Amino acid sequence: MDKDNILEVKDLRVNIHMMEGELTAVRGVNFEIKKGETLGLVGESGCGKSLTCKAILAINDKKCEAKGSIKFNSDESGEVEILDLNPKGEEIRSIRGKQISMIFQEPMVAFSPMYTIGNQINECTRLHITKDKKKSKEISMAVMKKVGIANVEKRYNQYPHEFSGGMLQRALIAMALVCNPKMLIADEPTTALDVTIQAQILELMKSLQKDFNTAILFITHDLGVVAKMCDRVAVMYLGKIVESADTETIYANPQHPYTKGLIGSVHKIGGNREDRLFSIEGTVPLAMNLPVQCGFYDRCTVAIDGLCNKAEPELVEIEPGHKVACFACNHEGCKAECERARKEIAEREERERKEAELAAQEAALGKNKKKLFGRRA
Amino acid sequence: MSEMNKENILEVRHIHKRFTSKGITVKAVTDVSFNVKPGETIGIVGESGCGKTTLGRCIVRAYEASEGEVWYRTEAGEEVDFLKVDNKKMKSIRKEIQMIFQDPYSSLDPRMTVLDIIKEPLKANYPEMSKDEMDQRAKEMAVKVGLNPMYLMRYPHAFSGGQRQRIGIARALVVRPQIIVCDEAVSALDVSIQAQVINLLRDLQKEFGLTYLFISHDLSVVEHISDKVGVMYLGQMVEFCETEKLYSKPMHPYTEALLSAVPVADSTFKMERIPLQGEIPNPANPPSGCFFHERCRYCTGRCITDAPTLKQMPDGRLCACHRAEELDLHGFDLEAMAKAAEK
Repeated sequence: MDKDNILEVKDLRVNIHMMEGELTAVRGVNFEIKKGETLGLVGESGCGKSLTCKAILAINDKKCEAKGSIKFNSDESGEVEILDLNPKGEEIRSIRGKQISMIFQEPMVAFSPMYTIGNQINECTRLHITKDKKKSKEISMAVMKKVGIANVEKRYNQYPHEFSGGMLQRALIAMALVCNPKMLIADEPTTALDVTIQAQILELMKSLQKDFNTAILFITHDLGVVAKMCDRVAVMYLGKIVESADTETIYANPQHPYTKGLIGSVHKIGGNREDRLFSIEGTVPLAMNLPVQCGFYDRCTVAIDGLCNKAEPELVEIEPGHKVACFACNHEGCKAECERARKEIAEREERERKEAELAAQEAALGKNKKKLFGRRA
Repeated sequence: MSEMNKENILEVRHIHKRFTSKGITVKAVTDVSFNVKPGETIGIVGESGCGKTTLGRCIVRAYEASEGEVWYRTEAGEEVDFLKVDNKKMKSIRKEIQMIFQDPYSSLDPRMTVLDIIKEPLKANYPEMSKDEMDQRAKEMAVKVGLNPMYLMRYPHAFSGGQRQRIGIARALVVRPQIIVCDEAVSALDVSIQAQVINLLRDLQKEFGLTYLFISHDLSVVEHISDKVGVMYLGQMVEFCETEKLYSKPMHPYTEALLSAVPVADSTFKMERIPLQGEIPNPANPPSGCFFHERCRYCTGRCITDAPTLKQMPDGRLCACHRAEELDLHGFDLEAMAKAAEK
């Protein structure tokens, strides 16, 4: 594992066991985050963003099964493979909340309505920093002040329903930051908020990141927020990363048709208002019994028949730091990927043809047997 | 007072809405007035709790406004106060003003098939229409908004968010209204689906000559779709004018702050954000004078005591600020951004 990296995710797969069968929500995701960096994970709802980050904390639902590798570079215990740990064990609990913490999507739901805000922030301090009640209260209050909650003495003893949405989100950030985590996972932290509050919260997160050198995994579907917050962006579609690059490159030179579509479907202020917005037709397919093809094939406008519907492209590096998984973009790396896929398709078809022949032969044989031995065979 | 301007289809005049509960009165909407021309799209923006949804609901008469008038020119050319017409008259013109609701998940009855949902406004407004004709019209409308007629016998749970919103649009359009109030019609959708629905709304507007009242908190979407924009704060309209003017040169300090907080999907874009101190005040106990003065960085003594009214500015816009004319506020550099967008 690279020393600069705080987290390395390799070939992460998350399966959900359902009544109807197995749903593969995350299908082989690779990425790494450097210390102090912000990585944006972008995609539509249902593309597996939230499941990916839940897997990092090992807080996935019982029905979900994560495979692959998530390596976390912990200062205390060195390199840790999170997926090998018991999700209820001592070791993961010393990481969860202390070294990796998470800001959840809806602040109104993330807090328990039965306890005061102070009590809930305190839970984290008492578990990880100090058992001393007085001291832990001091630490919690200091963090609450830091995230811009005014009148902390009074707020500490209030219940979540007495907070507004923006204040509650601040309290949630305070709870996530109280142990000075090395890594922060922010799952749509501002989606439920108004633009003015959103801008405040984003600036707050940025300044806190500077103070603590925290790495942030920022999950969102808002491309405006990504432009403001992130150093690098990974675009996810149907459980796979289809493009990743630094933020400027993604906006200036997107390669994957899905990324292009996402950027095109956001109206830019100042743009021609008579123009129609570019829209990606159709919807994200259900990740169950997927055929072997590019996940975006059904909605893609530049798909190559015979290639895109028969093989799935892998992520290739077309420029340093810019990776794309698409057969249709004209780069050397992608052409090599096309060749590989064509070979694979040819081999598979050859194999299938042989298998079919074999099956036909066997069927013919079976018929003969039936003739010879009657119904008992 | 009752005479309408010939050019307008809708004139909203001094609407007030107060909610009283446990002896506390909340002024959700205070003295909002504006005019709408046929075929226009009016955007209403503001933070949550500013009364934009309440205003929309008052206009379609889903809430009874406490005070005020909504003058409406009917398809037959009559001028009526939509809020005061009697039930009999209401029945004949209700269908002309329709609404698309915010949440596509809770605004459709889960126990009705999609066909029944789209047909329901017809049943209510055209009791004499035959069943076959209703089916026919509902199906036509479903096709228009991009729903597969094969799926109309299914129930709403079988549809995705974007498709549900299309059902909501079909339901509003099936009675051929003149005005549609879209209350956060695309806010609950993913960006790519959002683009589909916005394009659909645009196409339908062209086809049927619809007038939209587009209520949203997303300033980029509003800029895209609206001809005129009204900004609301704590139940009051603080600024109302053409979209370009509002975005390039706001005159109310709240508009300026709101614009500066918009996240722009361009990594090279830089704009100084104007911080707003504190939070939206409690509407049950609003501040004295100008409602915005506690959070305004241009506040003077007069703002604390005197409440400004919505006045016409030299360039024709409406703005409620004592200092509107002397302040030099900044919006977006639309020309530069248009160039960047072209690239």
